[in-house]
Amino acid sequence: MEKYRVLIIDDEEDFVETIVKRLRDRGLDAEGALSGPEGLQILENKDFDVIILDVKMPKMSGIETLREIKKKKPLVEVIMLTGHGSVESGIQGLQLGAFNYVMKPVPLDELLKQMNQAYERKLIEEERNH
Amino acid sequence: MSDSMNFSNVKYFFLPTILLVSSLPLGLLANGSFALLAILLSGLSAFQTIRLLKRNGVRETEKVELDSFSCRNQIFSSVDQLSAGIAHEINNPLGIISQEIEWLRHILKKQEISSSVDRKDLDDCEDSLMEISRQVDRCNEIVQKLLSLARQVEPVIQEVEANDVVLSVLEIVNREARDFNINIVAQLDESLPPISTDPPLLRQAVLNLLVNARQAIERDGEICVSTRRTDSEFVEIEIRDNGCGISPENLNRVFTPFFSTKPEGKGSGLGLAICRGIIERLGGEITVESEFGKFTAFTIKLPVGKKKERSLFV
Ligand SMILES: Nc1ncnc2c1ncn2[C@@H]1O[C@H](COP(=O)(O)OP(=O)(O)OP(=O)(O)O)[C@@H](O)[C@H]1O
Ligand SMILES: [Mg+2]
Ligand SMILES: [Mg+2]
Repeated sequence: MEKYRVLIIDDEEDFVETIVKRLRDRGLDAEGALSGPEGLQILENKDFDVIILDVKMPKMSGIETLREIKKKKPLVEVIMLTGHGSVESGIQGLQLGAFNYVMKPVPLDELLKQMNQAYERKLIEEERNH
Repeated sequence: MSDSMNFSNVKYFFLPTILLVSSLPLGLLANGSFALLAILLSGLSAFQTIRLLKRNGVRETEKVELDSFSCRNQIFSSVDQLSAGIAHEINNPLGIISQEIEWLRHILKKQEISSSVDRKDLDDCEDSLMEISRQVDRCNEIVQKLLSLARQVEPVIQEVEANDVVLSVLEIVNREARDFNINIVAQLDESLPPISTDPPLLRQAVLNLLVNARQAIERDGEICVSTRRTDSEFVEIEIRDNGCGISPENLNRVFTPFFSTKPEGKGSGLGLAICRGIIERLGGEITVESEFGKFTAFTIKLPVGKKKERSLFV
């Protein structure tokens, strides 16, 4: 698998730690952030290909974070993670340009499949913009 | 028959223009907000004109079709410009209103500590701010939908399984459906060929249809989502519900922007217009069939994957 850059933004510390480790084990360049603002801060200094974003977070919600991310980096692909499948946020997220929604708890292989598709999409868009 | 059609086309074309021109001075007087609204309205009726021209064009001569095609393109590009304008002109003030709400909340918090202020007045202020922020959210949502409707970003085409796309959307609605005792049945044809499509756009369209189906049922009912292959070139996704159905006189209006039978604040009437825009951009077609009080079925027809298509010509 190609080594692309993934940022995981979720307020559950254990979850972020585990998934970052497992993605690194699979050869990806993975980093974690525990809140929307922290994720946006990291994005200031480094580009990512795919972002995995929790919908439900205190302070700044996933949807608000998505809005900011797309303002700053329109080409990065975002996969939303949700614990309960909220239809409202589903519509909003897709309208704001999210690639997909994945339900927690998410099997790693399923997440990777979605991430690869999202990454492929980003490559197509980058090529088109050149 | 053809004459009266032409007349109505002309009427629909000039009406928005007149509206636009006549509203400009008025709008300038009122801080630009009226002008914006008028531009918006004329843009949308222009959008309707394209639909009319397009549909009528089918039965008319090739020349008319060509004319309406270039007209359609022209109008589309102005709809594009409008959307950029809306985003800028309305989003920015909305953003500022939100910030000011936060600022007022902050001030109120400080007042709470000092005992000299009337408790009840403070509570009223907080309630009022809450309502303002709810209405701002609603405006944000509508702006977002208008952008989706007008946006002419070129789809990013990937080869995917139609069934996977459908299943990923079902996951989003499943739980809420269960809460309302709505049973979602998936009848997916496992032998479908991959399709070449823009996955997130298709998800957005299917999700809109599922939400409509859920709203049509309200409680206790069934939504059946099926996929099938009709011929060598197309696959179909059908979303069928046994909800309230659509009356015959409304059936050909459901795709019209802002047509809604839902109560104020519940439906903006943009969902199906967005859906149709998406499906057409994906090279497909969306149709509806319904019997009032019995059922409604929306069918999306999409071209199969490019690879397959190409091999047909080799
Ligand atoms: N599955 C359905 N069953 C019955 N009526 C439907 C169904 N889908 C759509 N309609 C009718 O078509 C109208 C337009 O649908 P559309 O999705 O465009 O707007 P809306 O649902 O009213 O608002 P929005 O989608 O913007 O929240 C609806 O108000 C409803 O009258
Ligand atoms: Mg969370
Ligand atoms: Mg709707």
